Amino acid sequence: MSENRWLATGNFFTSYRAEQRIFLTHADRLVFICFLVLLFAWPLAFKVGNKYMLVIDSILVAIVAVYGLNLLTGFAGLISIGHAAFVGVGAYTLATFARLLGGNHVLLTHCWPLMILLAGGVGALFGAVVGLPALRLKHLYLVIATLSFQMIFQWFINFSKFYDQGQTIAIGRVFWFTGKVVRKQHYFFWYYVILVFVVVLGFAFRNLLRTRYGRSLVAVRDNDRAADAMGMHPGLTKVYAFALAGFFAGVAGALHAYLWRGVGFESFLLHHSISYLAMSIVGGLGTLVGSFLGPAAILMLELQVENLAEFVRHYFTAVGDVATALRPLSFGLVIVLFLMFEPRGMANWWRIIRSYFKLWPFRY
Amino acid sequence: MKNRQVTIILVAMFFMLVLGFSVQAVAGETYKMGLSLAITGPTSDAGSPYSKGAEDYVKYVNDEKLLGDDELVCFIKDDGYKTEVTKRNFEEFLDEGIVFYLNYSTGSTMALKPDFEEEKIPVIPASFHAGNLIDSDYIFLPIASYSSQAVGLAEYIVANHKGSGKAKVAMFIHPSAFGRASKDDVEKAISIGLAIDLVEIVEHGKDLDNTAMLKRLKSKGVQYVISHTVQPPVATMLKGAQSLGMIASTYGEAGKITFMGAHYAGGPDLIRLAGSAAENYYWTTSYKLMTAKGPGTDAQFALAKRYGRDEKLAISPNYTNGIMVVQVAVEAMRRAKAKGKKITRESLYEEMVGMNGYNAYYPLTTVGPVTFSKTDREGVDTLQLYMSKDGVFHELGAPFVSEYVQKIKQ
Amino acid sequence: MSYFFQLVVSGVVVGSIYALSALGFVLIYKSSRVLNIAHGQIIASGAFITYALTVWLGIHIAVSFILSMIITFFLAMSVERVFLRRLIGEPIISVIMVTIGLMSIIDGVIYMTPFGSENFSFPEFLPKIPISFWGISISWTQLVGVIITFIMIGAFTWFFKASTVGISMRAVSDDQFAAMSIGISVPKVFGLAWATAGLSAAAAGGIIGNITGLNFDVLHSFGIIVFPVVIVGGLDSIFGAIVAGIIMGLIQQFASGYLDGNWGLNGTADVLPYIILLIILLIKPHGLFGIHEIERV
Repeated sequence: MSENRWLATGNFFTSYRAEQRIFLTHADRLVFICFLVLLFAWPLAFKVGNKYMLVIDSILVAIVAVYGLNLLTGFAGLISIGHAAFVGVGAYTLATFARLLGGNHVLLTHCWPLMILLAGGVGALFGAVVGLPALRLKHLYLVIATLSFQMIFQWFINFSKFYDQGQTIAIGRVFWFTGKVVRKQHYFFWYYVILVFVVVLGFAFRNLLRTRYGRSLVAVRDNDRAADAMGMHPGLTKVYAFALAGFFAGVAGALHAYLWRGVGFESFLLHHSISYLAMSIVGGLGTLVGSFLGPAAILMLELQVENLAEFVRHYFTAVGDVATALRPLSFGLVIVLFLMFEPRGMANWWRIIRSYFKLWPFRY
Repeated sequence: MKNRQVTIILVAMFFMLVLGFSVQAVAGETYKMGLSLAITGPTSDAGSPYSKGAEDYVKYVNDEKLLGDDELVCFIKDDGYKTEVTKRNFEEFLDEGIVFYLNYSTGSTMALKPDFEEEKIPVIPASFHAGNLIDSDYIFLPIASYSSQAVGLAEYIVANHKGSGKAKVAMFIHPSAFGRASKDDVEKAISIGLAIDLVEIVEHGKDLDNTAMLKRLKSKGVQYVISHTVQPPVATMLKGAQSLGMIASTYGEAGKITFMGAHYAGGPDLIRLAGSAAENYYWTTSYKLMTAKGPGTDAQFALAKRYGRDEKLAISPNYTNGIMVVQVAVEAMRRAKAKGKKITRESLYEEMVGMNGYNAYYPLTTVGPVTFSKTDREGVDTLQLYMSKDGVFHELGAPFVSEYVQKIKQ
Repeated sequence: MSYFFQLVVSGVVVGSIYALSALGFVLIYKSSRVLNIAHGQIIASGAFITYALTVWLGIHIAVSFILSMIITFFLAMSVERVFLRRLIGEPIISVIMVTIGLMSIIDGVIYMTPFGSENFSFPEFLPKIPISFWGISISWTQLVGVIITFIMIGAFTWFFKASTVGISMRAVSDDQFAAMSIGISVPKVFGLAWATAGLSAAAAGGIIGNITGLNFDVLHSFGIIVFPVVIVGGLDSIFGAIVAGIIMGLIQQFASGYLDGNWGLNGTADVLPYIILLIILLIKPHGLFGIHEIERV
């Protein structure tokens, strides 16, 4: 009986190769392509204000950064509270060029795809360096090592005159084949660029598990002594994991710098590291879908809370302090409630919905 | 049971979403301004009164119909001193179509400079950093810049220093763009002849204990400390100095340190925080004090009372600052209206650069008139020196202008 | 030379406050293996409660100090009960994230009160003239702070060594199953661990509030410095926390005394704890006095 490639209705794989396919059925792939087309087409149809475009672009940048974090936590089982520092490293690579050559130099404005990849490379380098303690430490201690990297990064930027002591270093507007990307089109343009990165890197992430390296990551995460016995080098694998996470973060940092047209150290503080971790957890630790849902959820929540705070401040001016307390309160509550009641994150909801469709028209 | 919980959560989220998006419609009609500042977060002890000052004055303008039948709307958003949020707020205000913008932090004003240039919108920030005026045409400082204040204090030191040799001065600054604003200009002034010896520039952290720093300064022979930061760190330093017995009880007392501060490093809030340690503290700003009698003081108290603000807020110079920036913007609008022009960014900009000579503006709360021109975008050029005695600041001397700052500009 | 001794004295003062704050942290870790990221916030709330009792209710400061310790005792215990009880057995990252979430929640609650944005200072109830000897001066509040710190440290050490409750907490931290088999109620011990941590946090908060005044920003950063102290001392050693606290205080004072201002350095006191943290993690991961071996990869 030949396999039906359009509807799965359950798990009937007959070969490893089949199980590892990215799109389990043709229907899957079709839906995905339609979704991609939609993502690329909607800005042409609906025009939203600059502010909302900026928010959406920020969400996409956060998705790229959270890819790296989910890789680290989900695949390698390592925890990092210093992720914002890696993102900062990527952004500051661009800032270095801006300081040395000027914010509007050709390299920055015309060769920007190259610069973004270069920033990713530098991020990977720093990731490997910070990952070195992973050769000796585990769990809690690794968390704290990453925390200290974050604090040292913050202090260094704040202290170095070369980086203007953390004040915003401007990055100019970029050029595309059609000429300079002017103010009106800026967020629109970067939406597409960042979306391309999100899609490509998303495929890379999903594909990782099919490669030998990805499997060794999972093996080391699950039982590093057994992995060692099988010939993998657990320490080096972990360092590579950090390097990979650093790459994603570096790319995110460069995109962030281009999007905001400036690099200031205030975007890469401990608070942001915690925010990335929260996005990762709310989305679903270590999952690909979680990388999309988490940042969207957290950033939209922040926005809604701002609106709510505005609302409260307007109509109940006497309780002005309540309005400003809402932001940390809601952030903390979301994290805690998710961890208490839905520890597997929003990706779990997605998984439930998907498995419903996977088995359709059967019920189980 | 779980299904019900999920439904409840979803319904709640739905309401929040609807409420959240519906807030956008709160915006009003005619003239729109935007203000993004730190109502919470770092330096919010200055930002919160500032926002209330702006809010109250906008209400006053509408209630008293100072702009005739037109309504003034000022969108006020909290950015928590984060540049990213300020930028986001600015983009939102632009979407709303503002004609005038009020900003707050030094960092964000510097970061958004290129945006202001592109958008050609007049901006008044709460940051008096002289660097805001470089490479920008549209930023107007309400009062004399931090550089003027710091250099002005240094000039006072030189003029009144007793004893041989140059006065040894240290600066105590906020670890941010705001704090570093004045030090470059002080160094420039020294290089063209200001006779002080700048021994050290301390960027304060969140130190619990300033003893090491104070003793170090003492061992280097520092006699004067000029502070350029917000009040809480200064208060901590003063209390530390008091416990070490280092505060001079008269100006320039030998063996002790005389403490001085720029606009945000002083005022009644400092006295409230530092208590008796703030005795004999020298402070400079362009605003009149609420403890001095005068029409400005009365007007401000009346405004505060009208909108139900407590006394602590009413005497705060930050409240005055918030009122004043809106006053300047409204004055520009009023003049443009009187000339029959449409209220746009260009017409307001023209009014702003024309605000000099006979057209200078006299808000009641500052020690001098607000003058703007294409080359001079510092509003009130004169400063007043104050000294604290018995828990209150008193005027010392007449309003002055810093001469070295004029020299540096050339 | 007196400059050096002044730095030593200041270092001990600041360091003993660090020690007191780290104490609560170690307590929680020792009993339940939880890294309480929200500890700084509990210290801050202890400080604010003390202030509120002293100034708004007019209670004498010594009494309100003790009262706030009791209040924070129950506060911390209820926090553990509500939020952390469910998470026993979950992976460590979940628990750490919950404490991070808690940190944000307590932040939010504090912002709802006027304490979040304004500054307060305690009424001065000790003589203002500092004590001076040999060119060193130390203020009365600092001296009282150090004395109270050492009293509390002594009390805690006695508590753990000699009292039944203390010994049962040590038993639980050693081996939960063995403790359960003797009849010790493990969840109750967790609650108690948090509660005593709250107690020490309130004491630390009250002392800090008196020395530097109440500013939420300052108290914030205070909570983060607990980490280097605790790691250097060893996550599960109370004695280590005390020693590391004092060492950290001394290092910070020496850094700002000798390094700052030379070679254009500034704020070295803020970053040195983290550099030392990294070094210790690489050489001696379980800290100076920690017991458990860290699994090597």
